[in-house]
Order: sequence, then structure tokens, then C-alpha cells
Amino acid sequence: MTVLAWVSVSVFLGAYALIATERIHRVAAALGGAGIMLLIHASDAGAAFFSHDTGVDWNVIFLLLGMMVIVGVLKKTGVFEYLAIWAAKRARGRPYRLMVLLVLITAGASALLDNVTTVLLIAPVTFLVCERLGLKVAPYLIAEALASNIGGASTLVGDPPNIIIASRGGLSFNDFLVHMAPMVVVLVIVFLGLCRVLFRKAFVYDEARAREIMQLNEREAIADPRLLWQSLVVLALVMVAFVLHPVLHYEPSIVAILGAGILVAATKVTTEDAISEVEWPTLVFFMGLFVMVGALVETGVIGQISRLAVDATEGQLGLTTMVLLWASTGLSAIVDNIPYVATMSPIVADLVQANGGNEHAEVLWWALAFGADLGGNATAVGAAANVVILGIAARNRHPISFWEFTKYGLVVTLVTVALVTPYLWLRYLM
Amino acid sequence: MRARDLLTEFPTVTLDTLVVDAARLMAERDLAGLIVVTDEGRPHSVLPGTQVLALAVPGYCQDDPALARVVDEEHADRFLDALGDSTVRQALPKNPRELPVTDPDATLLEIAALMARTRSPLVAVVDDGRLLGAITLQALMDQVTGA
Repeated sequence: MTVLAWVSVSVFLGAYALIATERIHRVAAALGGAGIMLLIHASDAGAAFFSHDTGVDWNVIFLLLGMMVIVGVLKKTGVFEYLAIWAAKRARGRPYRLMVLLVLITAGASALLDNVTTVLLIAPVTFLVCERLGLKVAPYLIAEALASNIGGASTLVGDPPNIIIASRGGLSFNDFLVHMAPMVVVLVIVFLGLCRVLFRKAFVYDEARAREIMQLNEREAIADPRLLWQSLVVLALVMVAFVLHPVLHYEPSIVAILGAGILVAATKVTTEDAISEVEWPTLVFFMGLFVMVGALVETGVIGQISRLAVDATEGQLGLTTMVLLWASTGLSAIVDNIPYVATMSPIVADLVQANGGNEHAEVLWWALAFGADLGGNATAVGAAANVVILGIAARNRHPISFWEFTKYGLVVTLVTVALVTPYLWLRYLM
Repeated sequence: MRARDLLTEFPTVTLDTLVVDAARLMAERDLAGLIVVTDEGRPHSVLPGTQVLALAVPGYCQDDPALARVVDEEHADRFLDALGDSTVRQALPKNPRELPVTDPDATLLEIAALMARTRSPLVAVVDDGRLLGAITLQALMDQVTGA
């Protein structure tokens, strides 16, 4: 490798360490790394802005942007609060039944929305319901964070790593529905069984308090029914357009940004409202990451790693898949899974090509997705949703410690990934 | 006229006062807000009445305004009960804003500008870190309008 290649590796590792340790803001770390890459000519404007393989992946950026606008409108309609309180009433105050319904709502919602938004919506109402029922709130919050990470694995738009994987691997929304979603359904069912055991001490039923839950008026949560219907229709249209990609030929990014545009144009939501719902720092973070990783590709570093990986794993697709699954799980438990997947994607793309580039070899993408998405559950800092849940719990004077979360997360991660292992083996490698 | 000519003695609470007691103090004495002092007697926060109320509103209603609507009338009437033994320290927002604090030499215009900027109907007057008292919106308005 050239001197430039080695320098770009050290810049990348430095930025990665800063992101992982949160010594400085992650956006500053990613942009700083990208800036240095451009400064030392490891990358240039042509690559950074216009190359699909070595620059900013605009499909990812605009898909995130469009979904942020749609979700930003939807979350203000009160529909999630409505659902959660409806669930509490349906459960008639029975603690485990309540957890089952909350987990199902969270997992289902995070398949369509991103995980952080989902837990931000479900956590406050969980406090209300648990307070009314006299239940400890921590087990419910932990279960919701874990459910959001599991549910998010099921679709292309459910978790940011999936969006990156889809774009880099040329995988469609339906590919995720066919290859990820069925297994996620199984994982959610198993997770519900685990909850019954892991949180058994938290399920204390109080008949008098259970009656009081029936006094909550969930209909009051919906402030603007018209806007609710409009945004649900747009969300449904977006999902249909995702599924009908083979017929309509609109890329997911185009569908999302058109959906956001229609929502703003056809409802009372103003452009300013829509813009304020976009998490610009997240988008800029992605851009910085793409430029940094792109520089590693430009300088030949990624190619070199890929060659080594291909040589080491030649003819052993099964072993490669399993190593990728479990290594991704382990790494995503410790570091943010977004930069991890952004870095691994070009390497996995090369591995898929080396193994024939067919549907058979695409098992590597699914191993990466399962590992990165489920690995986030293992520790309290493994996924953004976990961090958010801990923050909300602390602010509401029910702090959850790192280890309290991690001891449940670790069990759930081990069980779910252990189940994914035979799934991938039996379905793709036999 | 200077701040020292307008200030009146003002009751204070500490960081360890129960939120319930702080709210009761404000209600019983018709105060515009409360001054929270540290153990050394320095002002820690100056809370307008609405922010004292914020200490008592359940966190989930502050995180999600829609939830205040779903609570039934019977429970909504009694939201203060849920406070239990939480203290002012626990309920204060983590990132404090600019304190409406001035020195005894401040002019009426300085005080008015400070009140307007910090949206506080209450300004603490501090000399050398020692709390001398407070100027209320009412006292200031009476003075400047000549009422």
C-alpha cells in the first residue's frame, strides 16, 4: 500500500475512535475525518460528491430525509399515544399482557419508522400507564428498546444500517421483506417468551389500579384526526410504492422524498414545520462517513482488505457468513452500528461478488444486517434507541443503569443471534 | 432610582425543599415565583411561577403534550399528589438558563430589560454573592408607571 493509503487508514481510525468514545461530537469527528481525507488528496470532489461507490450515497441521505419528514408529521398526530393507551386498556391492566402489546406496537412501528423515533414516542406514554398501574417502568422501557431494535431489522427503512446495506448491495424493499421480515417475526415471538421469564418479578397485578386504567381517554390524544388520516394515507402510499418497485421503478429514496413532498403540499403542514423535523446533524454525519469510507476505497485500502478477506475465505461461504454474523454482532454491541456498516459494506460487496454475486452469496448481506441490527441490543450503548431510553428514564427519575440494561440486552442478543445462525445456514447454505 | 430602593425581602427555598412545599409556599403567600438558594445562601435558580409549576408537571406530559389530554378529570385534578417526596434539585431542568440576578446599583431600565429578556416576573438582587432580596414585576410596574 502507498504512504497515502496508510495515512488515510490512520485518519479513519482516529475519527472512528473519536466517534466510538464520544470525546467530541460525532458529526465533528466524521466531518473532521472527511475534511482531512480531502485535504491530503485521499479523495476529491468528484469522488466525494458524484461517485456512487466512493462518495456520499445520496440514495441513503434522501431516503432518510424523506422518512424524517413523514415521521415528523405522523408523530405529532397522537396516533402512537392512542395505540399505547388502547393497548393498556385491552390488556385490562394485566402486566404481562400489557408488555406483550407494547412490544408488538414498538416492534411494528419501528419496522416502518426509525428506532429512535419509535422509542421517543412510546416511552412517555409507558410512564403514564405504568404509573397508573403502579408497575415498575424500567422493565417496560428496556423491553421497548430491545423490541425496537429487533423490529427495525425487518424492513429496508426500519434501521439506518439496512438503508445503507440496501443501497450498497442493490437490495430492494421486497428483498428485506422476503429475507429479513419472516425471521424477525419469529424473533419477536421468542423475545416475548424471554420477557415473560426475564421480567417475571415486575409483573404485579393490582385489581383496583387496573380499573383506573380504564379512565384514560385515548381519543383525546388525537388532536387533529384529519391530519392523522392524511399522514396515514401518505405513509401507506409510500409503503405500497416501496413494495411495487418492480412495477413502478421508483427507488426508495425517490418514493420517500415524493411522499414527504406530497404530505407537505396536501396538508396544513408547512415547509418550515417539515424542515424543522429533519435531523440535519444525522444526515451530515452520514455524509462525513461516506466521504471517509470512500477515501479508503479510493486509496485502495478497502480493496486490499477485500482481497485478503476473499483469499482467506475462498470457497467457504458458510464459514464467512457465520464469522460475519457474529463479528458484526460483537462490534455493533460496542460501537455505533452505522459507521460499522458504512465501513463493512464495500468489503461485503466485494465478498458477495467473489462468491458469485448471486442470491446465494447475498446471504452475506443478511448476516451483516442481522448482526449489526441485533448486536445493538447487547449493551446500553449498542444502539441509539437504548441510549435514548436511558436518557428518558433518568430525566423522569427512574434511572436505568448501564448494567441493568446490559444484563437483559446481552441475553436477548445471544438468543436472537443464536436463532439467526441456523436460519441463515438452513435457508442459504445447505 | 436603583435596585436597592425597590427590593423587598423574599422567601427562599433550598435545593432539598420538597416540590410540594415549594408550590405551597408560593400559593399561600401569592408569590410571583421562587428563589432557590444553595446551602451557602447564593441564588441557584430564580423560578417564575410557571416554572415552579413545571417542576410539578409529570415528566411524561412535558415530553409529550398529547398525554396531558388523555388523563381523566379525576386524576388530572390531583396531579400534584404524584410528586411524592421529589425535591427541587431533582425537578430542576438540567441545563439552567440565564438567571434574573442583578446588583443593588442596577437602574430601573436595567431591571426591566433583565425581566423582559429572562421572562421572569422576579429579579434577585445579590451583593457579593449574598442575596439581599428581590424585585417583583408588580413593584417595578408600580414605580415606572407612577401608580
